[in-house]
Amino acid sequence: MTEPLQWARYHWQRLTGGANRDDHERPYSYSSLLACRGKSSQTPKLAGKHRIVVPHLQPFKDEYEKFSGTYVNNRIRTTKYTLLNFVPRNLFEQFHRVANLYFLFLVVLNWVPLVEAFQKEITMLPLVVVLTIIAIKDGLEDYRKYKLDKQINNLVTKVYSRKEKKYVDRCWKDVTVGDFIRLSCNEVIPADMVLLFSTDPDGICHIETSGLDGESNLKQRQVVRGYTEQDSEVDPEKFSSRIECESPNNDLNRFRGFLEHSNKERVGLNKENLLLRGCTIRNTEAVMGIVVYAGHETKAMLNNSGPRYKRSNLERRANTDVLCCVLLLVIMCLTGALGHGIWLSRYENIPFFNIPEPDGHVISPVLGGFYMFWTMIILLQVLIPISLYVSIEIVKLGQIYFIQSDVDFYNEKMDSTVQCRALNITEDLGQIQYLFSDKTGTLTENKMVFRRCSVAGFDYCHEENAKRLESYQEAASEDEDSAYTPSGSLSNMAKPRAPSCRMVRNGPLGSISSDHLTGSCFALGSGEGASEVPHSRQAAFSSPIETDVVPDTRLLDKFSQITPQLFTPLDETIPDPPLETLYIIDFFIALAICNTVVVSAPNQPQQKIGLSSVHGMPIKSLEEIKSLFQRLSVRKSSSPSLASGKEPSSGVPNAFVSRLSLFSRMKPTSPVEEEISQTSKSPQGSGNSACPIETEKQDSNVDVTNGKVESLPGQPLASSLCYEAESPDEAALVYAARAYQCTLQSRTPEQVMVDFAALGPLTFQLLHILPFDSVRKRMSVVVRHPISSQVVVYTKGADSVIMELLSVASPDGPGLEKQQTMLREKTQQHLDAYTKRGLRTLCVAKRVMSDTEYAEWLRNHFLAETSIDNREELLLESAMRLENKLTLLGATGIEDRLQEGVPESIEALHKAGIKIWMLTGDKQETAVNIAYACKLLEPDDKLFILNTESKNACEMLMDTILKELQKKNPVSPEQASSEALHQPPAPPDSGLRAGLIINGKTLEFALQESLQRQFLELAARCHAVVCCQATPLQKSEVVKLVRSHLRVMTLAIGDGANDVSMIQVADVGIGISGQEGMQAVMASDFAISQFKHLSKLLLVHGHWCYTRLSNMILYFFYKNVEHP
Amino acid sequence: MKRKSQDCQSRLPDNSALKQQQLPAYRLQLSANKILSGFFATGVFCLGVGVVLLLSAKTIKEVEINYTEKCANCAKLRENAANFDKECNCSIPFFLPETMKGNVYMYYKLYGFYQNLYRYILSRSNSQLVGTDVKDVRNCAPFKTSHNGIPIAPCGAIANSMFNDTIILSYNLNSSIHIKVPMIRSGITWWTDKYVKFQNPSFQNLSSAFAGTTKPPNWPKPAYELDEEDPGNNGFINDDFIVWMRTAAFPTFKKLYRRLHRIEHFTEGLPAGSYSFNITYNFPVNRFQGEKAVVLSTLTWSGGSSLFLGLAYMVTGAVTWLAFFSMLAVHLRLKERKMFFLQQ
Repeated sequence: MTEPLQWARYHWQRLTGGANRDDHERPYSYSSLLACRGKSSQTPKLAGKHRIVVPHLQPFKDEYEKFSGTYVNNRIRTTKYTLLNFVPRNLFEQFHRVANLYFLFLVVLNWVPLVEAFQKEITMLPLVVVLTIIAIKDGLEDYRKYKLDKQINNLVTKVYSRKEKKYVDRCWKDVTVGDFIRLSCNEVIPADMVLLFSTDPDGICHIETSGLDGESNLKQRQVVRGYTEQDSEVDPEKFSSRIECESPNNDLNRFRGFLEHSNKERVGLNKENLLLRGCTIRNTEAVMGIVVYAGHETKAMLNNSGPRYKRSNLERRANTDVLCCVLLLVIMCLTGALGHGIWLSRYENIPFFNIPEPDGHVISPVLGGFYMFWTMIILLQVLIPISLYVSIEIVKLGQIYFIQSDVDFYNEKMDSTVQCRALNITEDLGQIQYLFSDKTGTLTENKMVFRRCSVAGFDYCHEENAKRLESYQEAASEDEDSAYTPSGSLSNMAKPRAPSCRMVRNGPLGSISSDHLTGSCFALGSGEGASEVPHSRQAAFSSPIETDVVPDTRLLDKFSQITPQLFTPLDETIPDPPLETLYIIDFFIALAICNTVVVSAPNQPQQKIGLSSVHGMPIKSLEEIKSLFQRLSVRKSSSPSLASGKEPSSGVPNAFVSRLSLFSRMKPTSPVEEEISQTSKSPQGSGNSACPIETEKQDSNVDVTNGKVESLPGQPLASSLCYEAESPDEAALVYAARAYQCTLQSRTPEQVMVDFAALGPLTFQLLHILPFDSVRKRMSVVVRHPISSQVVVYTKGADSVIMELLSVASPDGPGLEKQQTMLREKTQQHLDAYTKRGLRTLCVAKRVMSDTEYAEWLRNHFLAETSIDNREELLLESAMRLENKLTLLGATGIEDRLQEGVPESIEALHKAGIKIWMLTGDKQETAVNIAYACKLLEPDDKLFILNTESKNACEMLMDTILKELQKKNPVSPEQASSEALHQPPAPPDSGLRAGLIINGKTLEFALQESLQRQFLELAARCHAVVCCQATPLQKSEVVKLVRSHLRVMTLAIGDGANDVSMIQVADVGIGISGQEGMQAVMASDFAISQFKHLSKLLLVHGHWCYTRLSNMILYFFYKNVEHP
Repeated sequence: MKRKSQDCQSRLPDNSALKQQQLPAYRLQLSANKILSGFFATGVFCLGVGVVLLLSAKTIKEVEINYTEKCANCAKLRENAANFDKECNCSIPFFLPETMKGNVYMYYKLYGFYQNLYRYILSRSNSQLVGTDVKDVRNCAPFKTSHNGIPIAPCGAIANSMFNDTIILSYNLNSSIHIKVPMIRSGITWWTDKYVKFQNPSFQNLSSAFAGTTKPPNWPKPAYELDEEDPGNNGFINDDFIVWMRTAAFPTFKKLYRRLHRIEHFTEGLPAGSYSFNITYNFPVNRFQGEKAVVLSTLTWSGGSSLFLGLAYMVTGAVTWLAFFSMLAVHLRLKERKMFFLQQ
């Protein structure tokens, strides 16, 4: 019952907030503002457009009053009414509805004595009743919101008080712009604030934004430049800068502004510096910031839009019917009035029954007819089924209630059920003809599971792991089955999900969390103990079942050959280590370190595991460090990029400055400074030692194999390490490496520590990271190998790319070269096999460089980085120089598992005559494999592949395919009759099942005006269509095209931000609340947690809703028009 | 905060029959056979009832005599409102060819009198008619008060336009002996009308009960003098008045006027022979181009002489059968085709 209100409020907010929005929709270039930095004359002009934040402190009192005083405080009020304005405002809103207005019109008409038909009081009754009921409902709803607001407003946070000169507890509602706030780990951020201090030595703060966008991985935020170096907490009293930033807007991914120190020096601010209201501080002991947006001006609140309002097809038809009724009514009344007039005028005398006016005179026939018209409108008002609208709304609310309380839509893992965000289109669910589906995360789980690998030409198929996964699935499906009985479901939830899993972890396996839900739960459930946090994160990211990998026995055998002696060639007694073993070691090291995974231990409040200086050399004297910096300052940007793995943004004029500031955290990495880097592991020793918890000694001999070890507090065990990766593939590979006791223990911008069972802890010095990008389709890390002290490049990337970069001539001689070629061929075979099974493949390769080579490359890379013109190309070129002459180590096959029940659902939908299109950004092979796996395509389907380079070719190809289809289809009935005489003729479209596969480039041609018709005709004849490598825009264009040209009901389903446009364009948009955040859900009309729920949603609920509603509408017309 | 987190613990919906829409429900499965037999049966029923009704209506004897033209001189007299106090009598002889057995009812019938006009229907005061407040004349405008402001009782256009002809039926045994046919003027109203909806104000003396009110402008006498013969039949509970006040739905209507008192010659009913109506012509119909008639009729179990109900049943039955046959034809054809395909 809450949604219509939210909808109303949403519209209200849009009405009232119109002025606001104009502000931030106005395009302006902030970079231009930054470009003319230093010219203070610019500032006053911009003051109106932007917001100036002055610290809420004594010395700035006047200025504070001037600027920040006018900004709203942090009190939020989501209620619509107050006690005083409830009645007038509620009435005002209710009379926005046409139905109520019509009622009102009739009541007023009835008050006119000339046309009065019924008693005035009686006609008022229904209107009054309806208005009262709705007003009571609104009032209750608002009261509930008021209580919730109060609860949130009275949450407590630590705010710096200028009187007491320390942080004091204060309610959220009393926080104002310019306040300094200090937050500890796991606390919820009360308002949008700029991060000024973090206990993290690197000035990084981790936040969890699951409440905001649903993404459950941690995000990093950066302390404002210039404050990072401060060893102690920023003293608010000494803070004398002012912040100028853009006006409040709802773009979560944008924040622009600068911080102006008292000496007019400016520091740019971006979204990396902003902590958003509603997020939770994680992994960081304490942070401090200054509030820039509060209350309703925070980005979280501005993003809080209500449900969507769509009008269903049925309702549109009912509307036209109602209009017909209105027409009929007018005609009837006109006829009546005319007839009355004519009839009256026929009498010469005044008959008895034509009674005169009260004052005695007799009205003329014309006037009599006119009065009769209005009287008849009142009398025949029932002809218009105005109650239909109220009834439809109530029935739809009921339908939504029933949909939402369907047990079958409940997903235990996420503790979520279906959400109906749009209230008006339940019956459209039953009318869907075309279904557009995303692949990743929608059909598949988007939980990457390591399935197979091929190392040094040998395929390790991990049968045990496969078995374990199967048994897990069975166990899961058993659970599903028993969940249908009410008694069983609850007990099952608490039970560990997979008894067959032999790996037991410390954390509860069920991973049912309440924490990563949305909405109010989130906002309030923040202060809950830290123990709950890791579970939720695991649940969101990957359940233990998926992360654990059972090692392949053959591969384990080979591991047993690994001994530390392998790397000590001085020992002459041992023969040269077998090459394969070296490959295996390198392969797993590459898996473990060639990524940007962040390591955290879930059980501790201080979760970040940094490498302490204990491992390094004693700290050099300050002198030395200084000189080191001076020498390094020449090569500003050769530092490894930040732990976030992102290069400083390019193209921005101030990138240079940002890089300068990075310098302070820079590591001496160039070969020239080799000796220094060897000796000074931690140039910023002061920062490290300032944080005692961080300098915890790593227990390097943790028994990794024994996952059952109780976790001792304060000691992160391998099994309890949490890996947070930007993409699930990376995490899957790191977990796979861990299964082979090659555990990624920690990662800092300077070094990576890997615990390799047989070799002990290895500390790799990170020299460089070339992050993944979609052009290169690979990423590389450059490290110094701790044992051999060589510079090694580990590269991981798409097979097609890596294969081209392999070294043609091996430096080690022709024998090895031959071996490499063999290896290459074998690996390629394995890769082909993997692809056929629908696995995502990655190749791993390495390259050993000499120091001089590396130095040479580094020099060129600097040039590329510092160049201003075509920097991108130069960087790409530079990467190409590094990533060549690679030695292939092996390949991995990662499975993106199909979601449970997907093939069955697709089959059911197919049977129901719904055409299913799969639109994905993945490459063709993967997409087709998944399409086969989920029964979108049947093995005996005829596939047509549209893959052309030019428009003409595309047209030709479509022509031929169409001809072929046309040739086959008329034949098909005859075929059917010849094949099966005793069967009734099949519907024409199932005569020949054809699948169409089209890739992004061809799709572009097909979507052009001239080919649209042909493409649609072709697509309409095909049973299933797969569009691969499609961009989000293309996805939405396809949906739009089909919807508008074929005039069909379309449904789009997706889970990620790339599906949002498609979801919005379709008649019915469905979001899957899963891994990729909440954007899709926010844009959707219905949100479900798994694809399999779609079949019941469409085929059962959609059908019910449609038949029931249409029957009701028909009955209403029957009742009102036939029997007024 | 604690409480909140508990609320969020599980969103598993209730697994109750209501919420899962699993309550027992019965849905009619319509098959061709069921529909066809249903239509057939309905048709049979309607036709049967229609035939019975028509037959029973045929047995009714009815005599209708339109006296608009026959009393043309009186009609002319009434056209001029100035002659309202001049009495005009008119005798209409007629011959009854066969005896009307059983109860015989006498009606007056008006043509073209729109008693169904909306504002006409409302022009009455129910609180006055039920006797609670004689002076309540709220909805009666313009027949609310007389020129000098005295409230009219009974007020309103309906009462004012009351049918005021008197009709006396006499039986001519021979040319010299005219027997006045005994008629009862009571028992011609609905019970609820007579005893619930219409009540005289509670006073000892009826005329004092109507004190302070005046008669409707068209009436010759006040309400408490409507029936000179029976003092209990005066005021608002006068039978003729009550019958008139129940407005008719169509412009042509007949209202019950008297019923035969079966005594002496008339115990069997009205014997065949020559009769005459002696009508005191008061009600002007020329003003609205109407006509008036007097009707003698018997009744059967199925009501009056109207064929309407019987015809309606017949038509419905016929249409249903038509539908049945057309559907049967379609069904058979489809079945044939299906068989054809199956054979293929």
